[in-house]
Amino acid sequence: MVRLDLVKGTLDMLLLKALTAGPMHGYGIAQWLQRTTDDAFNVEEGSLYPALHRMMERGWVKAEWGISDNKRRARYYTLTAAGRKQLREETATWGLFIVAVAKVLRANPA
Amino acid sequence: MSWIPDRYRELRAALRGARVEPDLTEEFENHIQMRTEENIVSGMSPDDARRDAVRRFGDLDSYRRETRVIDERIVRDRRRTDSLDALRREMRSALRSLVRNPGFSLIALLTLSLGIGATTAIFTMLDRVALAPLPYTEPGRLVVLASPVPGVKADAVWGLSAAEFFYFKRQSRALESLGGWSSGKVTVSGNGSAERVPAAFVSASMMNVLQFRPVAGRMLIDEDNRPKAPSVAVLSYDYWQRRLGGDPQIVGKAIDISSRSVQIVGVLGRGQELPYERVGLWLPLELDIDAQPVNAHYLSAIGRLTPNATVEQASAELAGFTKRLPELFPTAYSDKFMTETRFSTRVTGLRDDLIGDLGKRLWILLGSVSLVMLIAFANVANLFLVRSEGRRREVAIRSALGAVRGHLAWHFLTESLTLTTVAGVCALALAYAGLKMMLALAPADLPRVGDVHLAWSSVAFTALVSLGAGVLFGVLPLTGGAGGGGDVMTLREGGRGMTSSRRQHLVRGVLVAAQTALALVLLVASALMLQSFRNLRGVRPGFVATGLLTARIDLPYARYQTYEKVERFQRDLLARAGAISGVTSAASGSDIPLDGYGGCAAIFAEGDAEQKSEEKGCVTTLTSTPGYFATLGIPVRGREPTWSDVESHSGAVVITKALATRLWPGKDPIGRGIRGNGSTPPFYRVVGVADDFRGIALDKPVIEGAFYPLMPIPGADLWSPPRSMSIVLRTTSPHPELLTASLRRVVSELDPNVPLGDVRTMETVVARSMTRLSFTMMLLGVAASMALVLSAVGIYGVISYIVGRRRGEIGIRVALGARSAQVGAMVVAQSVKLAAAGVVAGLLGSLAVTRVMRSVLFDVSPTDPLTLVSVSALMLLLAAVASYIPARRATRVSPVEALRSE
Repeated sequence: MVRLDLVKGTLDMLLLKALTAGPMHGYGIAQWLQRTTDDAFNVEEGSLYPALHRMMERGWVKAEWGISDNKRRARYYTLTAAGRKQLREETATWGLFIVAVAKVLRANPA
Repeated sequence: MSWIPDRYRELRAALRGARVEPDLTEEFENHIQMRTEENIVSGMSPDDARRDAVRRFGDLDSYRRETRVIDERIVRDRRRTDSLDALRREMRSALRSLVRNPGFSLIALLTLSLGIGATTAIFTMLDRVALAPLPYTEPGRLVVLASPVPGVKADAVWGLSAAEFFYFKRQSRALESLGGWSSGKVTVSGNGSAERVPAAFVSASMMNVLQFRPVAGRMLIDEDNRPKAPSVAVLSYDYWQRRLGGDPQIVGKAIDISSRSVQIVGVLGRGQELPYERVGLWLPLELDIDAQPVNAHYLSAIGRLTPNATVEQASAELAGFTKRLPELFPTAYSDKFMTETRFSTRVTGLRDDLIGDLGKRLWILLGSVSLVMLIAFANVANLFLVRSEGRRREVAIRSALGAVRGHLAWHFLTESLTLTTVAGVCALALAYAGLKMMLALAPADLPRVGDVHLAWSSVAFTALVSLGAGVLFGVLPLTGGAGGGGDVMTLREGGRGMTSSRRQHLVRGVLVAAQTALALVLLVASALMLQSFRNLRGVRPGFVATGLLTARIDLPYARYQTYEKVERFQRDLLARAGAISGVTSAASGSDIPLDGYGGCAAIFAEGDAEQKSEEKGCVTTLTSTPGYFATLGIPVRGREPTWSDVESHSGAVVITKALATRLWPGKDPIGRGIRGNGSTPPFYRVVGVADDFRGIALDKPVIEGAFYPLMPIPGADLWSPPRSMSIVLRTTSPHPELLTASLRRVVSELDPNVPLGDVRTMETVVARSMTRLSFTMMLLGVAASMALVLSAVGIYGVISYIVGRRRGEIGIRVALGARSAQVGAMVVAQSVKLAAAGVVAGLLGSLAVTRVMRSVLFDVSPTDPLTLVSVSALMLLLAAVASYIPARRATRVSPVEALRSE
């Protein structure tokens, strides 16, 4: 199976998207990503944490300690309004990016 | 209370900061645990499951390090915003509480702003005038040289002569360099217009003494001072910018100065000015070292001390040189001259010479306004105490319930700091406006006044004072007054006054009396000044100022060298000016009253017996054209000279009645002879005697003056042709200044190179001669109104406090049947009694103080009974009014409530 490296800067967008479903802990996000992409991305699970905490610093997500389904203490991350807005912007930019790349690939080099 | 949750949150944030690391460890470990469990569920062995979970997670230590840095930053930021929030909330609550008590806040604000504002204004004056360094390199080494001649006149001071200048410059060891100058105005003409420009005629060394550097071209050099040197000029930066548009190619160009072409050789740097005046042009003085020494002391001189020399050393050295003058220059300095004039050379530090005793006066002024400010503080402190009286129980209960003392202090502190911060801002605005007003009204000869402006030092001063006051008032309620050591006592005593407060009581009483006394003294002083001012306005100057327009006309030397040329010009000018519509008559004089009658010259009167004349001392001596007195509106007995008198060199003069009385008491002066120099014929003949008028200043005696004609009589020369004269126009208009353009046109038609300067109405001249008095009056007036407000606040504060303390007693009185009018009267009487003590002290004080005012007062006695009585009455009335509110409060005391709270 081919594992893809993430395009630089897209991890944030994926994490924000994951949190649109509701508060989640880091492991939950990792699981969701894996399931949704059929484990396509080559991402170390530990790397989610610096990314999440950096978004916390920017005010895109909030964190609170809670108890997980299997009775463990876990930090739950929640999307804030600023985070939602950020996701919308990144999604739009991503769309433009995809379209542009696709145009280039479809074109006949003159 | 709001501070408790804030503190709590802060504490939690701090704890959270300490937990960053364990939290992360737990978070990561649980992540791996959950992955492991899931792996086991999907069928891995526990060891493999764990290994797979760790592998998927990646480098745990490095992720933890990375994340920890971020978390620590988050905690730090949050802590900062939390405490800022807390402060903002605290200030908002303080503001709310101040707004809830508008009476208290406004009075406190007004008092503080006035006190701090006035002190800031005076501090700024002192700082800029006396403390700020002079704008020269090492200004401490600059000294001023001058020659006091007490034998001529008690306070007469001359400059240096050229002979002295060369001698001192060459011989002195204490002086590194010496520069001399004399200043005047020159006419710069070109493009059909002409302008009078202030100029300094300087020795080239002057620029070295002041250590100037040119921004373009060169400075003056010694060769420029030699006789017959080419005419050159150096421009001041300001003149270059303002009049020549900062032309970068200016060096090497020529301008027309006094009808001579002068080459511009350089431009001085910005702010490089003479210490005493601002000039546009720096021209070389003609200094001929080989010339015959003359006793003419026309040079102002500034020297630079050698690095380690002192003013005293220079003084001693120059005193030695001065003694040798008769020996070295016998033609200029006789021993007789030296002893009769008591001639000496004085060396003064430039700063001392420049600001004189103004520095000392400003220190005294700062001392007094600081005192006033302290009184203001005491008053506001009193108000705070009065208010904290009302909060005593609140504070006591809160303390009892466990509010931490630090929190209470913090609360009071933010409240008072908020108040004093607002007061500080108001004070700055007040100081700014006050300085502007003071500068607008300040006499023109006040040194360095142009440098006065609000600077950072003033802002710092205000901030310091406001913050200091804020801390003081914030801490005060916690000591002595309320909520202090006696919290429990307060509760137990039911807030009733204790014996220990009797002394505080006395202190407050004395404070109020002292303020009343101070206010009384200031009010008396300003009332006296006001009366002087009114009296002065009532002085009849002896001429009719309304409808008069005056201007200065200076004829260039090169084209008007003879009496005839000057006479021809004046005659044509006056004929044309007199024909301007709206002008009824025109005349010229070498000066106009109240503007330049300062100097005096010797006069010799023709004796009665044997035609021998005698010197009659120093009198005001001027030149005037026919019609001078008629135009000014001064009646003349006999007649004024006519143009045919002038033409025929008849020597007809007019003298004032005061001079006539002195020269020939009891005799008819008409037809008698005078002359300005020498006591032998020929004499000028008195043809008219002018009524007395004020020439020097309105509060100075009438002048003793002699008015010589434009043309001298042969054998009794006047000094030189009067090239510089003032023209006066009598107009029918109440706004004579509207005729300025017509006058200007007339002058430039006659000669485009003649400038018209100093165009003013005579009413302006009269008003300006009163500025000295009106300035002092304004300062005193401001101080007096401040003192008035302050003492009203002081009385209000103390009486309120006393009423609060006596609630119980008043309640009993009311319960025993006292009517509310009686209660009110009792309170008012107490206030008036306090003020009366102050009035007595103030009256004694003003008797002592106003004695020194005698010299500035005009036609009013320092002990004017009407003033003293009415001001005293005003103070007592003020005391009654200030106690009105607390008296009303006292009458509303309900006996039941008052007794219950006992």
